[in-house]
Amino acid sequence: MATTTTTPELKTYIGKRVRRVEDPRLITGTATYVDDIRKPGMLHAAVLRSPYAAAKITGIAIEKALALPGVKAVYTGKDVAAVGPVPCAGSMEDLRIPDHRILARERVYYVGHPVVAVVATDRYIAADALDLIEVDYEPTEVISDPEEALKDGAVRVHPEYPDNVAFTYKQAKGDVDKAFEEADFTCEERILVPRLAPIPMETRGVVADWDEGAKELTLYSSTQIPHLLKTQLALQLDMPEHHIRVIAPEVGGGFGSKCNVWAEEALACFVAMDLKKPIKWIESRRESIQVVAHGRAHVDTIEIAAKKDGTLTGLKLHIVCDIGAHHQLLTPIIPTLAVLMLPGLYKFRSFKASLVGAFTNRAPSDLYRGAGRPEATYVLERIVDKMARILGMDPAEIRFKNFPEPAEFPFETVTGLQYDSGDYAAAFHKALDKIDYKACREEQKKARAEGRLYGIGISTYGELCAFGPSPATPAGGWECASVNVKATGKVEVLTGISPHGQGEETSFSQMVADAFGIPMSDVVVIHGDTAKVSYGIGTFGSRGIAIGGSALHLAMQDIVAKATKYAAHILDVDADTVTFKNGTFSSSAAEQTLSFADVALETHLCRKLPPGTEPGLTATRFFEPSNFAFPFGAHICTVEVDQETGETTILRFVAVDDCGKIINPLLVEGQIHGGVAQGLGPAFMEGVIYDEEGQLLNGTMMDYAIPKARHMPWIETDRTETPSTVNPLGVKGVGEAGTIGSLPAFVNAVVDALSPLGVDHVDIPMTPQSIWRVIQERSRS
Amino acid sequence: MKLKGTYAMPAPRDEVWAALLDPAVLARTLPGCKSLQETGPDEYAMQMSLVISSVKGLFEGKVRIMDQQPPESYRIEVEGRGKIGFVNGGGAFLLKDAGDVTDIDYEGEVKVGGMIASVGQRLMDMTSKMMIKRFFTALEDEITERE
Repeated sequence: MATTTTTPELKTYIGKRVRRVEDPRLITGTATYVDDIRKPGMLHAAVLRSPYAAAKITGIAIEKALALPGVKAVYTGKDVAAVGPVPCAGSMEDLRIPDHRILARERVYYVGHPVVAVVATDRYIAADALDLIEVDYEPTEVISDPEEALKDGAVRVHPEYPDNVAFTYKQAKGDVDKAFEEADFTCEERILVPRLAPIPMETRGVVADWDEGAKELTLYSSTQIPHLLKTQLALQLDMPEHHIRVIAPEVGGGFGSKCNVWAEEALACFVAMDLKKPIKWIESRRESIQVVAHGRAHVDTIEIAAKKDGTLTGLKLHIVCDIGAHHQLLTPIIPTLAVLMLPGLYKFRSFKASLVGAFTNRAPSDLYRGAGRPEATYVLERIVDKMARILGMDPAEIRFKNFPEPAEFPFETVTGLQYDSGDYAAAFHKALDKIDYKACREEQKKARAEGRLYGIGISTYGELCAFGPSPATPAGGWECASVNVKATGKVEVLTGISPHGQGEETSFSQMVADAFGIPMSDVVVIHGDTAKVSYGIGTFGSRGIAIGGSALHLAMQDIVAKATKYAAHILDVDADTVTFKNGTFSSSAAEQTLSFADVALETHLCRKLPPGTEPGLTATRFFEPSNFAFPFGAHICTVEVDQETGETTILRFVAVDDCGKIINPLLVEGQIHGGVAQGLGPAFMEGVIYDEEGQLLNGTMMDYAIPKARHMPWIETDRTETPSTVNPLGVKGVGEAGTIGSLPAFVNAVVDALSPLGVDHVDIPMTPQSIWRVIQERSRS
Repeated sequence: MKLKGTYAMPAPRDEVWAALLDPAVLARTLPGCKSLQETGPDEYAMQMSLVISSVKGLFEGKVRIMDQQPPESYRIEVEGRGKIGFVNGGGAFLLKDAGDVTDIDYEGEVKVGGMIASVGQRLMDMTSKMMIKRFFTALEDEITERE
C-alpha cells in the first residue's frame, strides 16, 4: 500500500484497542528467545547446586566429570575467583552485604547455591557430568525461619554476623503513641505474606560470545535491564564497558525476576572469555523455582488506631523480611517500598514503621510483581477491614471517610510521598456501582439466612509507579529515546526501556503514528540492545510508557520542530505559518502541502538546506520525572465458601483502575488480567515452602501451585482516567495494579464470608484445607 | 519426617532378631538395596537405589547399628548421599514377644534434602510407608521360608 502519495482518511491510534504488533511472531513461534540463539562452536554450561542449606565444602573432585567425553571444562569457586561479587544496590547505614561470589567458595548457604559449572558440547552431556562431580559437604546447623533467625543465640547464617540482621529501616511521623492512646479503638493483626516464586514463562538464560579479535564480549540474556547489566558486568569482570554489549532478545516474562544481575550472567561471560568459545546456559524450571529470588517473604505486625466515627488516626507496622542468605540487586530496597506505601489511599495523621531484614539459609528474596506495594496494601486493607468490623461500620464507608479529596492534590502522605493526582472516591463509586454493592449485601443477608457463607471483599489500593525520580532510585530513574526518521519516511524508535511482555512496540508505535500522521506499520521500536540504544534504565516499576514514553514524546517534538523548519524552507514560507496535522505540513501562505515522508526525504537529500539547520531527521531526548506517579483503584469481589470442603468460589470480580491517561486499553486490561492472576495465586494456592532444615519442599510445577485458566474469575474491568502531573503524557502505569488490588479483595471477601463464624483474619494461601480447618475450629468452639 | 509403627512378625523373637541383624538378609530384603558390606564392627557401607515420584537415583551411605540389647532392642543410623540429594535417618527397634508372633515396634526420623526434597515431598510419606511394608514383607518371607 502506498503510504505517502495518497492521504486516505488518517486514523489515530492513541486510546484505541490496537492489537499487539508483537503477537504474530510470538504465537507463530518465530520469535527469537535466548535459547533459540545458536553460535558456531557454542558450548553448553550446567550448574551444580548445593543440596544442603548450610555446609562447609571440604573438597571437590572433578576428574570423573572431566573424563566424560564431550566435557570441555569444569569451574569451581576458586577458578572464577577473579570475577567480582554479585552486586547489591542497597544503601542503609547498617546494611550488611555478605561476599556473594558467583560460585560458592568455602561454604554453601542455601539449597540451590551454585557450586560448580560444567561446560560440554551439549546440554545433556553437561547435565550428566554434574552427576560425576563429587563435592564433600560437611553439613552445618541450619536456620530457616526468619523470626527464629532473629532470636538470641540463633544459628548464624554468616558466621561473621552474630544476629542474622541484614539491615534495619525505620520511619515515623506524627505522635503515633498519642494517637493510639487517644484512639477510641485500636486493633492489631499479625499477617504472613509468604514467599512467592516468580515463574516467568521463559526461565533465565544466557549466551555469552567473546570476539577475540575485536576484544568484544556480547551477552544475550533474558533480562529486564540490559544497560544496567552491561555496566555491572564491566565492574564484575573488570572490563572496559565499551567492549561489552548486552542484548535482551525476546524475553518471555520477568515479573521483576529478571530485573537483577545474576551470578550465571557473569559466569557465562567469564567462561566464554576463558575458553574463547560461545557459552549457552539455560535455566531449568526446577532451578528457577529454587533460586530465582522469591518475592514477598514478610511477617508483618500491623496496628491501627481510629476514632468512633471511623477516622483513621495512627498506624504502626513491624516487618520481618526473610531476605535469604544473600542479597540480590534490590533485596534490601524492596521491603522499604512497603513502608513508603503503607498509608495507601488514606489520610493518616501519624505512623511508625520498623523493618528488619533477616538472613536465613534460604534462597535470596527480591522483587516480584508489585515489589513491596502488594505487601503494604494487603496488610493495610486487611487491618482497615478489621477496624470497620470493630466499629460496626460498612467497609466501604470507612474507606470513603478517609480518602483525601480531589482538591487536596498533590497530596502528601504521612510517609512523605507526594501523590500526584487522584479522585479515589470516583473510582470506588464506579466499582461499587458496577458490582451493585447494595444488591450484594442483600444477597449476603439472604445467603446467611440460608446458612451459606457468602462474602464481599473490598480493596481500595494505591500504587507507586513510573520509577522514578533519579534521586529516589539506585541507578538513575530517567529514560532515553531516539527517533530516527529514514529517507523514506519510515521511523525507527530506539528506547532505553526493555519490554518483555508489556507491549511497548505497540504502544510506542501508536504514539509515533499519531504524532507523525503515519501508519503504525511505518514504525519500528528497537529495544534491548546496548549497541543500538545509547543507554537506558530498563523496564520495571511501571515505567515503560511514563518514563520511556515521555522521552519518546520529547524526541518526537524535536523531530516535528526540525521537520517544520524544513517544510517552511521548501514551501518558502515563514516557519510560524506552518502547521503540521495528520501527517501534513501546510501553510496559510502556500498552496502546496508536504507529507511527513516528503519532508523526511528532503532532510536526507538536502537540496534546500534551511539556514542554520543540519541534515538528517533524528532526535535523542532524555526524560527525568519530577516524581513517581500514583495510580489507584478499587477491586471488589464476591465469593461463596463451601462449608463442607472449604473451597472458595469467586462469584464476581470487579476491577476499576485509574492508571492515568491510557494509550491502549487492550494492553491495560491485559496487565490487569495478568496482575489479578498473580494476586489470586497467593490468595488461594501459592507459596514457597521450606522446612526447618532449609529444604525447599515444593520445587516443581507439580508441587508449586499457580493459577490455571479454570481458577480465574471473569474479570469485569472499568476505569477512571486522572492524568498524572509528573510527566507530559499524563500516564501513571498499570503493571502491578492487578496484583496489588486483587489480593486484599480476595482475602477480605473470604473473611467476610466466614465472619458469622467469628473469623476476623485468615492467612494466605487460603487453600480449601486451611479454610476447612478454620471452619471446623470455629464451628466447634 | 517421622515414622512409627509395629509389624507383627510370625516368628519367635530370637529368629527375628537374628534376621534383622544379618547383613546378608538385609541386603536381600531392604527395598532397592544394591549392596551391603561390613566395614567395621556394626558398620556397613550400603548402596541403595531409590525412586520417589519422578526422581530416581542411587544413594551411597553408611549404616551403623548401636545400643544392641539382644534380642530386644537396637538403634540404627543411616546416612546416604546421591546425585538426587541426601537421606539421613535414625531409628529404634523394639522386639516384643506377643504370643505366636513377635511385635517389631519401630520409631524413627528421616531427613531428606536436595532434589528428592523439592520434587518428591508429596510422595515421601507414602513412599516411606510402602518401603517399610515391602521390607517387612520380604523379611517375613525370608524368615518363614527358612523354616
